[in-house]
Order: sequence, then C-alpha cells, then structure tokens
Amino acid sequence: MDFLKFKQLVASEAQKLGINEYELYYQAAESISISAFQKEINKFSSALDGGVCLRCLVNGKMGYASTEALSEQEASALLRRAADNAAVLESEEEEFLTEGGATYQKVSTNQQPLPGAECLKEKVLAGQEALYAADSRVKDGSTGQIFAEKMHLAIHNSKGLDLSYENTLVGYMAGAVVGDQGEMVNDYEMRVAPLEEIDISEVANEAVKNAVSKLGAGVAPTSNMPVVFAPSAMKQLLGTYSGVFSAENALKGLTLLKGKEGQKIAADCVTLVDDPFYPQSPMPMPFDAEGTPTHCKNIIQNGVLNTLLYNCKTARAAGKENTGNAAKAGYDSKVSVRPFTMYLTPGKCTEAELLEKVENGIYITDLGGLHAGANTISGDFSLQSSGFLIENGKKTVPVRSFTVAGNFFQLLNGIQEIASEMEMKGATGSTAFLSPAVWVEGLSIAGK
Amino acid sequence: MIAREICERVLQKAVSTGADYAEIFAENTLDHAINLVGGRVDSVHDALIAGAAVRVFRGLRSVMATTVDTSEAGLMKCAASAAEALGQGTAEIDICLKERLFGDIHPIKIVPASVANKTKVELLKSGCAAAAEYSDSIVQVTGTLLDVDHNILIATSEGLYAQDRQIRTRMSISAIAEVNGETQTGGCRPGARMGLEFFERVDPKAVGVHAAKQAVTMAGAGYCPAGIMPVAIGNGFGGVIFHEACGHSLEATSVAYNRSQFCGKLGLQIANEKVTAIDDGTIPGDWGSINFDDEGTPAKRNVLIEKGVLKSYMIDKMGGRRMGMESTGNARRQSYAYTPTSRMTNTFLAPGNETQEEIISSIEYGLYAKDMGGGSVNPVTGEFNFAVNEGYIIRNGKICEPVRGASLVGKGSEVLQRIDMVSDNLECGQGMCGSSSGSIPTNVGQPMIRVSSITVGGR
Repeated sequence: MDFLKFKQLVASEAQKLGINEYELYYQAAESISISAFQKEINKFSSALDGGVCLRCLVNGKMGYASTEALSEQEASALLRRAADNAAVLESEEEEFLTEGGATYQKVSTNQQPLPGAECLKEKVLAGQEALYAADSRVKDGSTGQIFAEKMHLAIHNSKGLDLSYENTLVGYMAGAVVGDQGEMVNDYEMRVAPLEEIDISEVANEAVKNAVSKLGAGVAPTSNMPVVFAPSAMKQLLGTYSGVFSAENALKGLTLLKGKEGQKIAADCVTLVDDPFYPQSPMPMPFDAEGTPTHCKNIIQNGVLNTLLYNCKTARAAGKENTGNAAKAGYDSKVSVRPFTMYLTPGKCTEAELLEKVENGIYITDLGGLHAGANTISGDFSLQSSGFLIENGKKTVPVRSFTVAGNFFQLLNGIQEIASEMEMKGATGSTAFLSPAVWVEGLSIAGK
Repeated sequence: MIAREICERVLQKAVSTGADYAEIFAENTLDHAINLVGGRVDSVHDALIAGAAVRVFRGLRSVMATTVDTSEAGLMKCAASAAEALGQGTAEIDICLKERLFGDIHPIKIVPASVANKTKVELLKSGCAAAAEYSDSIVQVTGTLLDVDHNILIATSEGLYAQDRQIRTRMSISAIAEVNGETQTGGCRPGARMGLEFFERVDPKAVGVHAAKQAVTMAGAGYCPAGIMPVAIGNGFGGVIFHEACGHSLEATSVAYNRSQFCGKLGLQIANEKVTAIDDGTIPGDWGSINFDDEGTPAKRNVLIEKGVLKSYMIDKMGGRRMGMESTGNARRQSYAYTPTSRMTNTFLAPGNETQEEIISSIEYGLYAKDMGGGSVNPVTGEFNFAVNEGYIIRNGKICEPVRGASLVGKGSEVLQRIDMVSDNLECGQGMCGSSSGSIPTNVGQPMIRVSSITVGGR
C-alpha cells in the first residue's frame, strides 16, 4: 500500500477514534550498494524500505507509534498504540503540531534517478584497480564500496501541513590496507556527490596516501602539550559533543550549557554555525522534522553562546525562538533536536602557518571510541588517537596508540586559533559536522 | 509469517539464475521502550519492524535484496532482483522445504507485549526513585525499560524452514551527581533474553542504587593519572577488554578478508596460557543467546582460545566459504535490512585459580578498573580502546581513592600476552555491539584479571 492510501485510512480511523490532532511522518528509500574485494565484486545489495511514524495528541500528551507494515489493519492499530502510549506520559511541557501554510526556502537537491547497477559496478571495480595501482604496499583487504539511495520524506498533519522531500545520494568509499615489513595499517576516504562528480581514482589514491602515511608510526611521549586537531578529528569531536547545544538536553538537565545563553563559553576566535543550506551539503533541508522552516544561525558567536538549538516544544518551554532544529534519529524516533551542518568558522591563517606558530606539539588525525571515552554530561574525554608529531613548525613522524584527554568545555576556552581551510567530504545525511584544523593549548597525552 | 509454499516459490525464483545457495529471512519485531526523565514518563518508543530479505550466493559472491512488501508479489519481486543482480545462468537447485523445530531453551513466563504500559512504568519508576533518593548529590536520573519481541523466519535452499521468537528485556538507569560543582555520571544496564520475569531476578531498586552510587563516587574523584601501568580489570562488563582486544579480530568478518591480526594463527599461542576464551550462544536466558543464528545454523559453544592457543574463529556461511571452514553458528544481523555477518553472542574469559584479593595485593602501583564503558577496535591493526567508568588507584596492594576520566588503549595481540593473572569470579555484563550487520545484543564477561602493563589514558 502506498503512503497516500495509508494517509487516507489513518484519517478515517482517527475520526472514528476521536483523535483530532495527529501527524504522519513517512520515510522511504530505494537503495543499492555494491562492494568489491580484491578485483571482484563480492557483495551486492538492494533495498526497498519505508515506514510511517504516527504521533497524536491525547489529553495534551503526544503519543508515538510506528510501523513498516502499511495495511488497513495497521492504520487502526497504529492509532490505538499511539493513544495507549500517550496515556502514560507525564512530561509537563506543552506539545503541539506545526500549522501548515508557512513558506520554505527553495533548496537544490539531486533529482537524478537511481544510477544503474552496471554503471556502479564499473566504478567500484575501477576503484579497486586504482587502489592496487596506487602503491606496491597495498594489500588484499583493501575494499571499495559504492552506494546510491533515492529517498522520499513526507510530513502530513491534521493542521494542514503537507510537506514532501526527495533526494538522491550517491557515495563512494575506498578502504586501503597497506603493509610493510610485517606491519599492517589501514585508512579510508569517502565522497558523497552526484555520481559524475566523484573522481573514483582520486578517492582511492587519497585512501592509500592516508594509510601509507601511518606506516612506521611510533608512540607519542606521555606529557601535556599543545594539540592541533586535524579537520577529520575536530569534526568527530564536534559530532560527539553536539548534544550539549540541544535545548532538549537543557530541559532535561543533561547539558552543562543549560542557562548559559548570552554567556562567554569559548575563546574569542570561536564562532560555531549551524546551516541547513550549507553549499556542499548533500542534503540541504528546507524544513525540520516537525515541518518548521529552517534557517542558518550562529550557536556561538565570538565565544558567546548565542542560542541553543530548539524545536517547537523546547522553544515554548524556554520562551525562546524556535531555531527549526527538530530532528528524529530514525523515522520511528521521538522528535528531538539536532543540528544540520554544524561547523566552526574558519580563521585567517593557513594550516601550515598555524603549525609554524605551534612549533612543537601533536597533530591528531583520528580519534577512536568516542561513544565510550567521551562523557557528554561532564565534558570529560580520554580518547584513543593517532596522528603526527609537530616539530619545529612541521608535521613529522606518525604516532599512534596514545590517548588525548581533556574536557570539551575547557577545550572550547582553550582554542588558540582556527585554520582557514575547510572541506566537506563524506557527509551522508542532513546532519554533518565540519571544521578546519584547530589549535588547542595543553591537553594530556598518554603514550610511552 | 510466510507460508512454506510461498517460501518455496520465492526461493525457486531466487536460484533461477544459477545461485548455489538462497535464503529468505523475514522478520516481525515489536520494539518497545519507556523512557523516564526526572521521575516522569517522558516518552514511549513503539515500533513495528516488518520486512524480508532474499539473499543468494554463487561462489564467493553474495547478493541481497530487501523489501517491506512481504506479500507474495513483493517477495517474488525481491527474489527476482537478487537473481538478476547475480548475473545470468539457469537454475541448478530444486527447492523443497521441510519445517524444522529447533526448540526454545529460553522459556518466557511473562511476554512483555502482553503487559500494560502502566506495570512497566511502575517497575521503571521504582528503579529511578531508588537512584534519586540515594543521595542529595543526585541531580538527575534517566531510565529506560526496553522490551523487544523479535520474530524471525528463515528458509534456505538447503531445505530449512524454521521460525524463532526472541524476547529480550532490559532496564537502563543513568544518574548524574554533582559534588562541589563537579558533575559526573553513573549507570547500570542489566538485561536478559527473558520476559518481565527478569525482574524476579533483578531488583529495579538495586539497578538505580548501583547507578547513583557510581555517579556520587565519580563526582568526588580526581582525574586518573596518565601512563603505562599494571591494571586490574573487574569482573562482569570488564570482559569488554576481550570483546574489543580480541573478539572482533576473531570474526570471519575480518579474518576472511585479510583484515585481522589473527589471520592464519589457528593452533598458535596468541595469548598468555592463563587465557581461555569462549563464545557460547547456548546459555539459557542470557542476553546474547540464540536458539539458531540468523542463517539457521544452531547456536554453539565455541572455545576460541584454550590456554592461550587459538582454537576457533567465529564464522558465518559466506566467511566460511572464503576460509574453507564451516559456520560456527555466529551469523547475526540487527534486522532484515542488514546483511548478516559473523558476530559474537555471549563471549567471556573462563575463570582461573587466583582470587581477586591476590590480584589487587600483587599490584604495587596501578589502576583498578572496576566498571567499564564501551570501546572499539580496528581489527586490521588490533588497536583497541575502551573507557573506564569507575576506577581506583591501587597503592601497595590496596584499593585507594577513586579516579575519573580514564580510558585504556593497546594492541590486542600484545595485551593478550599480558593477561597474567585470572581470578575465579566469572560474571557477565550486557552490551549492544555495533558492526557491519548493525547493533545486536551481546554479553561480555570475565573474572577479575590483571594486565601486567597497559597504556592508561588520563591527565
């Protein structure tokens, strides 16, 4: 059954049950993914998925239920389950649905049809050729994966909201394993862009280059020293701690930034932006998960916390302006808050100039175990890292198997300077994190 | 879920272009979770996951197509697209399915889906209230009561037609404590492959108190020092060290593709002789247990390492083809939407002869990692990390002050050699493990162990 028909069924069932205020959030996709191992295709998958999440107001409480089975029976069951769930809710904040009729910014999305399997196979095999040709130290275990997804999103509610969004995402990832004198290391590189814009061999070469640069790594010394987070590491850190800027977390007492709007929380050079229309984003969004029109905003401006990120409920509860950041982790999830493209505004000096100023320290390219080693409540982190030593203003020998420890809130204040180069490479959805290289004073390194 | 006759027709379509193996995996799952914030029910998550995947093999190639349309027409379309993607050829297999009953070693007394929200809310509230009342320093408590009713059907070209119902229940409570302006967290997340009778075994109040106590202890703690030192890792969830340092690197997911430091090491000494490690999917009622895996292979007890010698990998069907070995009953997937691959079930270090006291008193200066958080590993290099949620300094063989913010990092092959003391108090903890086939429930476990030296990330 298609969504249109299901929508009508729900409408008539809702009427029977006396449920007057409800919303249907529909997400479906057709996708294809092809992987290669050695110089052959080893895995192919295609998927047709889709599901509907219903939320409805019963006695002022917003109940949720979702289903992947779009049938007559489910239309009624879905409403009953959601109403049942609403009956036990006790949160005090007022919940409401978005009125229809707002105007939305036009965004440009990829409206091409899903690329054909044959064409994708050729690309991923060409990637394998490029991987093996890039360096004689490339080993089996190096893989390539190409994926394409045509997605459809729709939000429909009883207050006249009827929104639809379609986009096609195509991505290629090259994973290189290189070995030398018994040592094996790996790295990967990824691009998401319309197929014709992805330079397969460039991505494969980049992956091999990344991996080769890690060969022969030593262990960093245990000490307290200046750290430069590479764009790849800083975006991981931003992504992990992005929840501290959520008004939903503030409402629940789960972020230390609660009540800090208007206060200085970071160094002067820090301006943190959330932009739903970031030019290179593969998924610019004109509306958020509640159907509110989106806009670009500075979260931190010159070190001052300008605003947290809000949705309908949290904005009303806090008496603030809704920033249009309602989001769902999956179509079946509760509406929460999330950024779109969140980035640190680039500074003036190049990364090379920044390293010269640092003189001696450590350049971190990868962080590991962020889901465990970073506490988003206290801000404390202790994370597995790899990167390079900075000696006399230059990146020198690779180092790994060490940890970097600090506190995110202290780190924001300890930022000395932000470099000028920033590039979006592998974002796969509407939420992405982006940063130039960032120089931070005095973090603890545990190594040898 | 899907009639045997329909499965036969769908599989016949799937092998029509010359596949040497075909499989249908269909699923109907009710995912239910009640979330409490600050003593009040904040949300209820309630999702029906329903769909099917058709997978075909030819040699070392695999193709999978998935769909949410589980009507016969939808499944036939799905099978046709898998067959087409495999290439050209003609059918070489005649499909004839026979139903098999594996039996269920996990009897469920109280099916969660048959219990009203209200009862579940009361259970969760009693746990969260116990956390909130534990101390004046507790400033926030959040809790989740999760129950999953996972119904699966597997039909394969080998003739298997089988169904299983996997029910799991878990309570997670997190507490935040503030002591002298320092905020820290504590948590406790027990779960089992059981229904709501789980709470006859586990007292929700004890879950809350455990979380609160940890938060209060940690809020009063100083930072963990950095450096290389001996570490005593506590029993239970401490087993995450083996899960990350070794477990993932023994999965065909990495071994079959030359992406593991343990490739070609069967029969060799890869760990200290005190180390015996087991993956056992057959433990009744345990969080990571299964009757049969997601490819229809019965669950087994596999000794992975015996007295330091590598005895077995964990293998799925496709990994087995590449390695020239049989499946070990470890193929798992989060849902029909993920391609199954080899994964852990209940993985633990076997108990040794030493006592906890002997381990602690053997350390002059080091860290006692009492409770662990999650971690991750890169199987290619063997480099792993995991977080210490509750740690204490050991001085002169005595457990001293608590320390916060520590993580442990190392290389699996090296750390396995340095596990030089193993105590006798085996316990398991519950986790969700993420890999290419999604997020699945796994148990980790161990008795207390000593790692003679490891890098402690502190400050």
